[in-house]
Amino acid sequence: MRAMLPFLPGIVPFGVVTGFTPISFGFTWIDSWLGSLLMFAGAAQLAAYQLMNEDASIWIILLTVTAINLRYVLYSASIAPHLADANRLTRLLAGYGLSDQIYPICHRDYRTHEWGLEERIAYYTGGTLLLWGLWQACTLIGAFAGQIIPVFWSLEFIIPLTFLTLALQTLKTMAHRVTAISGALVSFVGLELPYSLGLILGAISGVCFGALYQRAIR
Amino acid sequence: MTLDFLFVVGLAGIITLGLKSSFIEGQTYFTLPSWLVTAFEFVPPAVLCSLIVPSIFKGDPGLVQEFGQVAVDPKPIAAILAAVAFFATKRTIPTLVTGMISLYLAYWLQL
Repeated sequence: MRAMLPFLPGIVPFGVVTGFTPISFGFTWIDSWLGSLLMFAGAAQLAAYQLMNEDASIWIILLTVTAINLRYVLYSASIAPHLADANRLTRLLAGYGLSDQIYPICHRDYRTHEWGLEERIAYYTGGTLLLWGLWQACTLIGAFAGQIIPVFWSLEFIIPLTFLTLALQTLKTMAHRVTAISGALVSFVGLELPYSLGLILGAISGVCFGALYQRAIR
Repeated sequence: MTLDFLFVVGLAGIITLGLKSSFIEGQTYFTLPSWLVTAFEFVPPAVLCSLIVPSIFKGDPGLVQEFGQVAVDPKPIAAILAAVAFFATKRTIPTLVTGMISLYLAYWLQL
């Protein structure tokens, strides 16, 4: 649990924002909390509620959730060998609890410690339980706070600002910057397309341009 | 809460669990090709930037809904200033605070 402490200050505001933004769209606190309970994936939760608010089709919503959560496949592939001998229920719960925070901690510490399976599971469980509990509490607090905050505060604008922060944090190389700029440009050109298609076209072309740029400079 | 809502959030939850559990459950059955691993790296900035654009260039913030339109949309201005704050501080909270304060200022200054 101690290893998770550096992550906690960042979790609190993000959890609160994720809790209250669905409220600003007119959802109830139970609707807001269900997203945290069923998905336990902040950025995907925010995107899903935003798109539901924009009346996007279910396919666009699910495609967007899939795209945002694709990184978990990489985490899953990386962490899997350490949990291979665990029973099915443990593996299922470990899958549900996989997060941007527990992955780097376990990835780092599993390799540097001579732990048996039980110790590895205990380490994973302790960190995940702390994070899960804090996340659920923060989204609930955000959901209840959202019910009493007036509309003119425009707090729904925190969603794009949060995505902006997350996006800027990913711009490590020129290829990532090419990805971001081309994705945003295509999404802008496709603003008036139906079913939020501009979003999907922007995401696909961003990935293609980024990958092509990286291949070109090699 | 409607059935449609439950359906969408339930499916989104199942998809998320499926992606998170993909290798923890199925590592003996499949491996990822390297080109796909490379492409995955570019997914977060592409999706996030594509998501940001409609929220910045479409729709009215609560301020406009309550107090009426102004000549210049305050959202793009606020987003640019928030990005500047991010590059200056590299931290989430100052970025969000700068973005929100800029939104209010860019609106009120036009009233």
